[in-house]
Amino acid sequence: MTLDPAIRDQVLSTVPSLRAFAISLCGNVDRADDLVQETLLRALAHIDSFQPGTNMPAWLFTILRNLFRSEYRKRRREVEDADGRYADMLKSHPEQPGRVEFGEFRAALAKLPPDQREALILVGASGFSYEDTATICGCAVGTIKSRVNRARTRLADLLAIDGVDDFGPDRATRAVLAGGSRN
Amino acid sequence: MTTGKTVNLQPPAPDEDKAEARDDDNMSRPATHRKSEVRLGREVQARIGQQLRAMYDDVVSQGVPQHIADLVRRLTDQDDGVA
Repeated sequence: MTLDPAIRDQVLSTVPSLRAFAISLCGNVDRADDLVQETLLRALAHIDSFQPGTNMPAWLFTILRNLFRSEYRKRRREVEDADGRYADMLKSHPEQPGRVEFGEFRAALAKLPPDQREALILVGASGFSYEDTATICGCAVGTIKSRVNRARTRLADLLAIDGVDDFGPDRATRAVLAGGSRN
Repeated sequence: MTTGKTVNLQPPAPDEDKAEARDDDNMSRPATHRKSEVRLGREVQARIGQQLRAMYDDVVSQGVPQHIADLVRRLTDQDDGVA
């Protein structure tokens, strides 16, 4: 197969983010890399169904997510990071600021229901719009918004961000003051 | 959205989303039950966002692993004889 180099570059430039998403789904680097490879095999085998000019990242993320889902249904979730490679990888970046906090954050993230976690990551880390995220997850935009909201609320609770003070009796008041007219 | 049946480009089968659809109905509960869902302060949201991106970008900054780059080249450049 020869492929338009521009398309190939779009695929390659999506790989780092695709991989980060895969790791967040699998919780295991080796499985995530397998998933990325399988995604790329499928995508390139069916590259004709990609319409040039449309959103390549969203297309690849959709394929990856669906592959993960179908596999997930078959095998359910395996022991997360059984070989500790994800943890090792994080440890290999000693300059990482607030690494301890970082571990706590990852643990809290792992406690979220998968649908909420995935929505939060796609919107909050991958940088997809709510619309693109809805397309990737095959559901309504409103569903994504509510999942993201609940994910954030749950995370804040799990992490007790800013300590007890922020979540004491004054919390609602503070939230109103800090949040302004946010909807 | 009609692609070949061998391609898994479609959204998941509807049954998969049923449990969550029920879950999403929670959003329509009376306001008194939604206390824990009150909007979060901007600062809290910002913190969560920062952590999330830091974690994600840590992987992104690793770029494209060599074996994946090789795979893509192999699949797309067969005619060029790239090993």
